Amino acid sequence: MTKKLLALFLCILMLVSLAAGCAKPSSEVPEKTKAPESPEAPEVPEEPEEMVYTTLYASEVSTLNYLTTGTQWDQYVGANVIDTLVEYDNFGQLKPGLAESWEVSDDQLTWTFHLREGVKWYDYQGNEVAEVTADDFVAAAKYVMTPEYESSTFYQMEIIKNATEYYDPESPVKDFSEVGVKAIDKYTLQYTLVAPTPYFLSCLTYVCFMPAYGPQLEELGADFATDNEKMYYCGAYILSTFEPQVEHIYTKNENNWDADNVFITKIHRRYNAESATLAPVMVLRGEIDYADIDTSIVDDWLNNHPELLSKDRAIPDYSYFYCFNFNPTYDEEWDPENWKIAVNNENFRKSIMSGFDRLYAMRAIDPNDPESVLQNTIAPKGFASVNGVDFSSLEPFKGVEENYFNEAKALEYKAKAIEELTAAGATFPVKMVLTYRSDDDDWENEYIYLKQQLEALLGTDYIECILNPGTTDNFLTNTRRAGKYSFMRCNWGADFQDPSTWTDPFAPKFDSEAGKYTGNSYNFMDINLNEDNQNETTAVLKEYYALVDAAKAETADMAARYNAFAKAERFLIDHAVVVPYFIYPASYVATKLNAFEGQFASFGVSILRYKGQKVYDHYITPEEYEANYEQWLANIGG
Amino acid sequence: MALYRKKAEKLQDSINESILKRMPDSEAFSFAGFDEQEVERSGYSNYSYWRSTLHMFLKNKVAVFLTLIVFLILLFTFIQPYLPNQIDPFLVNNDPKTGLPFRNVKPNDVFWLGTNSIGQDLWANLWSGTRTSLFIGISVACIEAFVGIVVGVLWGYVRKLDFLLTELYNVMDNIPTTIVLILVSYILKPGIYTIILALCLQGWIGMALFIRNQIIIIRDREYNLASRCLGTRTYKIIQKNLIPYLISVIMLRMALTIPAAIGSEVFITYIGLGLPATIPSLGNLINVGRQLMMSPDLRYQLIYPTIILSIVTVSFYVIGNAFSDAADPKNHI
Amino acid sequence: MLKYISKRLLRSFLTLFIIMSITFILMRQMPIEGYFQNYDKLSEAQIQNGIRMLGLDKPMPVQLFNFYKNLLKGDLGMSLRYRNNVPVTEILAPKIPVSVRLGVMAILLALILGLPLGTLMARYKGKLPDHLGTAFIVFIQAVPAAVYYLFLQLYGTELLGLGLLFDPDKWTAWILPVFSMSLGNIAYYAMWLRRFMVDQSTKDYVQLAKIKGVSGSKLMFRHIFRNAFVPMVQYLPATFLNTVIGSIYIESLYSIPGMGGLLVDVIKKQDNTMVQGIVLLFATVGVIGLVLGDLLMVVLDPRISFGAKRGNR
Repeated sequence: MTKKLLALFLCILMLVSLAAGCAKPSSEVPEKTKAPESPEAPEVPEEPEEMVYTTLYASEVSTLNYLTTGTQWDQYVGANVIDTLVEYDNFGQLKPGLAESWEVSDDQLTWTFHLREGVKWYDYQGNEVAEVTADDFVAAAKYVMTPEYESSTFYQMEIIKNATEYYDPESPVKDFSEVGVKAIDKYTLQYTLVAPTPYFLSCLTYVCFMPAYGPQLEELGADFATDNEKMYYCGAYILSTFEPQVEHIYTKNENNWDADNVFITKIHRRYNAESATLAPVMVLRGEIDYADIDTSIVDDWLNNHPELLSKDRAIPDYSYFYCFNFNPTYDEEWDPENWKIAVNNENFRKSIMSGFDRLYAMRAIDPNDPESVLQNTIAPKGFASVNGVDFSSLEPFKGVEENYFNEAKALEYKAKAIEELTAAGATFPVKMVLTYRSDDDDWENEYIYLKQQLEALLGTDYIECILNPGTTDNFLTNTRRAGKYSFMRCNWGADFQDPSTWTDPFAPKFDSEAGKYTGNSYNFMDINLNEDNQNETTAVLKEYYALVDAAKAETADMAARYNAFAKAERFLIDHAVVVPYFIYPASYVATKLNAFEGQFASFGVSILRYKGQKVYDHYITPEEYEANYEQWLANIGG
Repeated sequence: MALYRKKAEKLQDSINESILKRMPDSEAFSFAGFDEQEVERSGYSNYSYWRSTLHMFLKNKVAVFLTLIVFLILLFTFIQPYLPNQIDPFLVNNDPKTGLPFRNVKPNDVFWLGTNSIGQDLWANLWSGTRTSLFIGISVACIEAFVGIVVGVLWGYVRKLDFLLTELYNVMDNIPTTIVLILVSYILKPGIYTIILALCLQGWIGMALFIRNQIIIIRDREYNLASRCLGTRTYKIIQKNLIPYLISVIMLRMALTIPAAIGSEVFITYIGLGLPATIPSLGNLINVGRQLMMSPDLRYQLIYPTIILSIVTVSFYVIGNAFSDAADPKNHI
Repeated sequence: MLKYISKRLLRSFLTLFIIMSITFILMRQMPIEGYFQNYDKLSEAQIQNGIRMLGLDKPMPVQLFNFYKNLLKGDLGMSLRYRNNVPVTEILAPKIPVSVRLGVMAILLALILGLPLGTLMARYKGKLPDHLGTAFIVFIQAVPAAVYYLFLQLYGTELLGLGLLFDPDKWTAWILPVFSMSLGNIAYYAMWLRRFMVDQSTKDYVQLAKIKGVSGSKLMFRHIFRNAFVPMVQYLPATFLNTVIGSIYIESLYSIPGMGGLLVDVIKKQDNTMVQGIVLLFATVGVIGLVLGDLLMVVLDPRISFGAKRGNR
């Protein structure tokens, strides 16, 4: 009997709790949903020309803290809500930003900036907080240089005097006033550098040189920018709503110094993890203003909705190139020792380089127009120019294209390589491990193309390509940096506008404690400089590093400097140590924006800005895109 | 029915014979010791559990037909590569005129199911993928069933183990599968065996719990009490009294585990921990196809793997149910 | 009975403790590179400092002790990667009600539709309702959820004239997500209930009841349904948890801010504190669900006993 009663009681309890669980949240609905919208409603003035831009995003930012984040995705926020001292226009020309003017000392070491007066900080509701002063730049720099905050972009500030020393806890420099960032007065900011840095202005467009309201930084410390309420805004937009994995709403800052050039009044970004599949559908239904059209569905769109399809800008901020790994660490089953013998033979490398049909492989990523993004140099076209000549077209690069795809030459090199490698004790076929990120379908397809094309040309008795899917998370750390590949597509982004940035991935890494080279994290070629590992590559490397050192020493004459770097790079390509590939193709998109109206640069965060862009009343057609592109090219050339 | 009655009468006769006829009256009321041979004799009948099960199963025409289909599909995945005019699933087919890949070609007489976005033959990929997925499914079902039954029976029957195993279940069931999956994929290379291991690592405990619950329900039923009173050994009770009773449920569960494992593979691929696309599988094919659902021109790439997956799933579902009906001794009468 | 319950609950705490400790230790087997956004651009000093800040430099028992010490104070810590420096509880708080609401509605709908369907199928075994029901179950089982969810979303929203994504302001926006999520459970409930009811209907007591002249529907509901429902009851609380975790597809498709994909997300990001917080939450629900399931089973079926009081050998 008691059991029956208990049973009844339990059943009722369960039902009640279920009902309560259901009823309680639903009563919250109206309050909950209204809450985030109420603050922005009164704030946007009722203007007739409200311009709203709606889009989806698939991956949430990991932080709003623009002073610490090193990922481009997070930097979208900082780029749009904080202004920089200088910025780029849509043709890539530097122009004043928060700094109205600047001068540099004769020794090229001291840069003085005169700030724009009357620029204010606003909170997320648009209330004025304080004025932006030189102290805010100093406070932000101090924040970046404080090890506890783990800024990923600190390395960009090492050009500043005493920055490295201040950062190092064991160094005697403890007082921030010794560091080369100073507020001379309220509107005068001074940077002192370690060495003459002709490209310093371009560095200023990066997040670590952005200002932050000093007293707030002081107060919040590590909590700074953990929420949109915990930061102040001085840029074109204010992040008025930030609900992670729900939505971001950017509202135009009407009081921005350059508000006249900010046209979109509200940016509404909605989270959707499946946006790759859903965004194109939403564009067809007119629900959003922008969608990436994935390579896999481009064909369908070209057939059925060609009028909606345009392209993004291709931006030379990252250059892609294939690296040969000189110190493979993968499993014995793939015979890394045999690869080591092969890769140190120049004819072997050249047989791969000239046997590799780059345009064919690139069709995995851009099936229709791969030629436009093909690169014959590591420093991509349009990165920098001297005396009106693009870096990639300088004298030393004349004839560089002869290194690339040529079937007859490839077979010649192959014959020579077989002879030399047999003598050196290598076995055939040589196993070549191609590593990629397992969730990157395009990349995988590229390797499938590469494998089939190369094996067909050179023969499976000579080379065997092995596709090796790497982890999705911490991919670079687990694969490239760990040396788990033999031939791999790598990339490097410019940190500033100077060709020396393109020698950084190949710079030797010397461990002074062990007294030997441990290998750069790209192709590990410098291990061949070690006493116990001398081979025919050693001489090539010694000459290359000498060329780079000579180029770096040239700081007065820009033309000479650029030519010297070009010479070094050409040397590396001629010896088939690295195979230049492409800049990532402009993706197919359906958009109501004219991509060419946005700020343009090959580094920094300017390209992430919505400032200057307009939402048109229709999706840009291919014809309009072509016209916009032509016009932009004409402007950039003139 | 008549057969059964006959059997019962025979049994009765034999018991009567042994008790009444061969024993003097004085012995009839004294305690008899446990005699293995006598037990065997009394337990004998010409009733064969498996023969009856098969007999019942064959009566279900749909199930027999689907069994044939599954068998044929399984067989075909192995012989398909050796048929004439087959294309290597990995081969990128180039247009001889332009030298460029045949991308997204609709089904025609060369590419029977068309090609994918990089010019690989979908027909070949489909069968290669089906082979992989079926292998995963069947392996997982067998491993789970074996481990699950052994542990589950012990768990349900041996009370001393109950606390330990219940605790183990609570712990294992509550450690998120994703953590296990990710850790397994850190330790091992992504591949077929990693997936099988990852799916089995926690799957068997579900099967074990299921068996244990069934056993708890029937453990103390009268006929088991009777067996115990008669001094029958535990393993024998499990083998003769419990397992036949459980076969129906076990078969159903196993039959459902196969499509479930294939489904899990689709899910694991979805969260980005699945097989690399260099190993074709139904999960990979469907995941690629899913993104093309809204593109009418490309939809064919989703349809065929989904059809195969559906046939396999439906077949196992129906076979499992039919077999479980057939395996229930109650239905044998 | 009360003694049994309190004993079970006490044991549940032990279970929770083991789960949390194992999860804690497992998460710390992940490579340290995963804790930093761009590991190669950080200096050795920064990495060492980061590891110290994360408390990873201390020996494992100390880390574990600190975790439990903070847990007793109700402090789950700050998120490390998912949302840097935001308290875990603050991140979870708005997401839990969404998931609970979605899960409860989906399960209720599944029970409301699934149980009658299963009963109907068992009652008319081999007849039209059984065939129709089987066709439905087979379809749901056969077509991958990833495919039919997307299909329902694309065509359902068009049919109902809704936006593609979830809109919390409109109650109609709940229809498709809840319906999609319940489909799997409807099929599951109907299938197992039919199976168990068919199994029960061959039992002797049913034969007896039939001979006694108990009417068809009374027999179905009073006798067969009740006995068939017993083995299913135990899973009810657990299905709730599975529904919530399994809502990853639905939540990603409709942009519903629930917990579905959160766990996968934070594990991949190696956000230890978040993982601990979510695992603690899920494990608590799971363990309580198990106790509840067992209790319901004992309560509903007088023949089952868990205590060692009766029937011990």
